[in-house]
Amino acid sequence: MPKAVSRSLSHAVLMLYVAFILFPIVFVVFSSLKETNADIVAHPFGLPVQLAFDNYAEAWKKAKINVYFFNSAYLSVTAAVSAVLLAAATSYALARMRFARASRWLYQTILIGMLIPGNVLFISQFILIHKLGMYDTHWSLYLPYTAGALPLSVLLIAAFMQSLPKEMEEAGIVDGLGAFGLFWRIALPLTLPSLVTVFILNLMGNWNEYLLANFFISKDALKTLPTGMVGFRDAFQTNYPLVFTGVVISIAPILVLYAFLQRTIIEGLTAGSLKG
Amino acid sequence: MNHTLRNPAVYLLFVLPTFALYALFFLYPVVTSVYYGFTDWNGLESPRFVGLGNFASAFRDGLFWVSVKNNLIFILFSVFVQIPLIVLFALLISRVKRLKGFYKTTVFMPSILSTSIIGILWGFMYHPSIGLFNHLLGFFGIEPIYWLADTRWALLSILIANAWQWMGFYIVLVLAAILSIPKEIDEAAEIDGASGLKRAVRMTLPLIRPVVSVIVMLSIAGAMRVVDIVLVMTGGGPAGATEVMASYMVNKAIKYGEYGYGTALSLLIFAIALALTALYQIAFVRNQERIEF
Repeated sequence: MPKAVSRSLSHAVLMLYVAFILFPIVFVVFSSLKETNADIVAHPFGLPVQLAFDNYAEAWKKAKINVYFFNSAYLSVTAAVSAVLLAAATSYALARMRFARASRWLYQTILIGMLIPGNVLFISQFILIHKLGMYDTHWSLYLPYTAGALPLSVLLIAAFMQSLPKEMEEAGIVDGLGAFGLFWRIALPLTLPSLVTVFILNLMGNWNEYLLANFFISKDALKTLPTGMVGFRDAFQTNYPLVFTGVVISIAPILVLYAFLQRTIIEGLTAGSLKG
Repeated sequence: MNHTLRNPAVYLLFVLPTFALYALFFLYPVVTSVYYGFTDWNGLESPRFVGLGNFASAFRDGLFWVSVKNNLIFILFSVFVQIPLIVLFALLISRVKRLKGFYKTTVFMPSILSTSIIGILWGFMYHPSIGLFNHLLGFFGIEPIYWLADTRWALLSILIANAWQWMGFYIVLVLAAILSIPKEIDEAAEIDGASGLKRAVRMTLPLIRPVVSVIVMLSIAGAMRVVDIVLVMTGGGPAGATEVMASYMVNKAIKYGEYGYGTALSLLIFAIALALTALYQIAFVRNQERIEF
């Protein structure tokens, strides 16, 4: 087969797959701009005749998307930052400080956590959260999100801490840095790229988390975007344009972020799976 | 220098917070899971020890085995339908000259969206009156199908939505492996007159075996974990047709208050996951030996 033909065949197959990927997104954007259910039912795939932007104002108000959005954003960021900092400090101690036996033991214990599939501990964690009196507070998500990210974060960051050149450390000590200074001034800056990767991995995981958010939080004002949007769909099931608008509003920021940071995001999300 | 990095107080300070959180949310729940698994407990009164009673009921619980079967279907679908497609698309993307970045970015996009939003989105794709699929069927004069409400179609519908979400992620992993193969090997084969297809099958595929084996394992792990999309799209219905182990466990515990039984199920899920991993390792190791002969 001539090269040109085989290449255009490849493009044709790939374009078909791209269409399959984009179709639901395009459909939801078009539908969100339609006036009524009848418009969608009559021409589900047509362009909207009159752009019904008022759907957006209505959905924003009715779905409290701003509340869910804020909850999701601050929980995801604080939990991801906490996990990265805790894991970095621990990895530093495990990899660089002179307590080999304790470190080996701790490292193995923490890695066991990666063998346990996430859902298996769900019921026990649910009961634990109740016992701690954290049910229906943001602690019930912040703490499990932070804790849940630790094993993989330690695994990834420790590998980088291990490979730091000894000479840097020695120079730091000569200059009078203590253990904290070495960690803060030398180890953290040098491992920053890997910390960013781990941060993105944790951030996306928290942002999209559904199971805990669904069962540990029941107050509407505390809900995160994934559970809030499902609640919104169930409440306005019959008003398609409004639900579609909610979906568009909730995915738009992520898609914009992705458009700018795709390389970093792809790297961050795929980093964990090959090493883990 | 010896003394700077040998301060036990600093060591504890660096390690303790992590270990405390880990112990509270991993180690302690493991211990309590094992305990609750052997009790009959509704979450209110004190747990009553029932020995292996929960496990015995699990083996007689037909609905639980339906959910196990559905997880197996998830695994089979991802290994035998998704993975061949993933490898095919990755190969195609690696071979085109233009639009490579566009394809990569686009196919990866669904994996940054949250599963629950995807569940909502695809719920509308399957909508009886406004959904895409019934419109296509209508075009050919076929009666509308109630995809998510029909026991024959509901699971397949979820499998497709799940594939839409995750395939791109794996495509990018495989693509990275293909692109890291030295160009010279491919060029040498081309000079020797190997066709594109032959090069892909005889050369690229064997070279990316390690990453394919990784994505097989990741897919199995993912298929064992699947729950969000089921809860959002069907809640396990209609009539348990889409129930997976995790959703069944969650429903039993939280909806029906059977915490002891639910925890026993979670232990069974863990055992099944371990067994599958071991099985896969054995099968894969044997395969490798076969290649060496």
